[in-house]
Amino acid sequence: MKIAHWLSVAFAALSFVSAHANLAPDAQVKAVATDVTQVLKTDPSVLGNPAKLRDLIEVKLLPNFDFKRMTQLAMGRNWARATPEQQAELTREFQTLLVRTYSGALANFRNNTIDYKPLRMQPNDTDVTVRTVVNQPNGQGIPIDYSMEKGADGQWRAYDVVLAGVSLVTNYRDEFNGIVRDQGVDALVKQLQAKNK
Amino acid sequence: MTTRALLLTALLAVALGGCAAFRNAAPGDPLEPINRGVDSFNNTFDHYLFRPIAKGYDAVLPVPVKRGVSNVFQNAADAQSLLSDALQLKGGKLGDDLGRVLINSTIGLGGLFDLASDMGIERGNEDLGQTLGHWGLGSGPYLVVPFLGPSSVRDLAGRYADGKIDPVALVSSVPLRNSLLGLREVDARVALFPAEALIQQAALDRYSFIRSAYLQRRQSLVLDGKRPKDE
Repeated sequence: MKIAHWLSVAFAALSFVSAHANLAPDAQVKAVATDVTQVLKTDPSVLGNPAKLRDLIEVKLLPNFDFKRMTQLAMGRNWARATPEQQAELTREFQTLLVRTYSGALANFRNNTIDYKPLRMQPNDTDVTVRTVVNQPNGQGIPIDYSMEKGADGQWRAYDVVLAGVSLVTNYRDEFNGIVRDQGVDALVKQLQAKNK
Repeated sequence: MTTRALLLTALLAVALGGCAAFRNAAPGDPLEPINRGVDSFNNTFDHYLFRPIAKGYDAVLPVPVKRGVSNVFQNAADAQSLLSDALQLKGGKLGDDLGRVLINSTIGLGGLFDLASDMGIERGNEDLGQTLGHWGLGSGPYLVVPFLGPSSVRDLAGRYADGKIDPVALVSSVPLRNSLLGLREVDARVALFPAEALIQQAALDRYSFIRSAYLQRRQSLVLDGKRPKDE
């Protein structure tokens, strides 16, 4: 009796963990943000430890982003001009760059609270925007929106982050465009590699 | 006179930078070669003079003093934005900004304390550049202005007009006014430190990174945070 009870609790807990995959998009953003802030609050030493920080980001954050889609959007029409090898390399390097930038910015977000705006979504939508406001200690709120798409596996993944009206993907598209136009795709790959060294 | 000398230096830097770094201009930035020249001049000026001053200010003064200084300038900016609120017929923002100025100027001791924000009254955050945008004027070519940094033809015009109703510029004592204007620039520079570290890490080409962020941010401010595709 008792063992059966504990087993059912354990299974419920397990299914909850994997059920992150099937949460509504706004609930998913909230769950991830809560997870990360929780870790930073209970163990602030993570911020000073690059290896631990990278672990945290790789386990908690990365599965919730579609880096291939992000890279594709950031490349715009130049994506089709890149060879499959270049595409793979661009995706890998872009992901590294974003992860590093994010780990650097995370320290600033530690003492902030996040408000979630009501999600406007139809049951069959596969592309939604989750709107949040990050409240800084000085009283200023920064709106951060996540553009999310539902994958074939039923999981929502973010393909753009819009910070105070500035889209990450658009910002990089303007930057990548200029580099590809002047120097070609290979130069862009090399510049990303050099930046990540 | 000194400003004239500085402007001449700036123009020279523009000319030199323009020749040295000639490349194809991006769409929306027909003046890119010139802008890049001004940008590198601004960066040099910032690196050797402006940033060290701001760093010193940031290191020496205690946090409550710095916050008080920021609040006073914000309060002046809130007063300045009333005209833009009104010209855009944004009654809600006009009420909020008016309430903010009244509360902060009185019980906030002349703007030293931002009590209005604590009460949840948000800043309208409007200016005349946004007002021109609100009534349909596009941003025009991107501009990097000597000493001022990123702007656009529309926003520079708006900035010029805003300068005419700038409460700080209306202070009658010249030495006090100039000190305040200088202090305001330093305060604004300190506020950029976190973004500076982020850009350093994130950007492959600092110039185009900032250009894109500036133009997107301004567009978002004109639309009050709505995105064009949201209708």
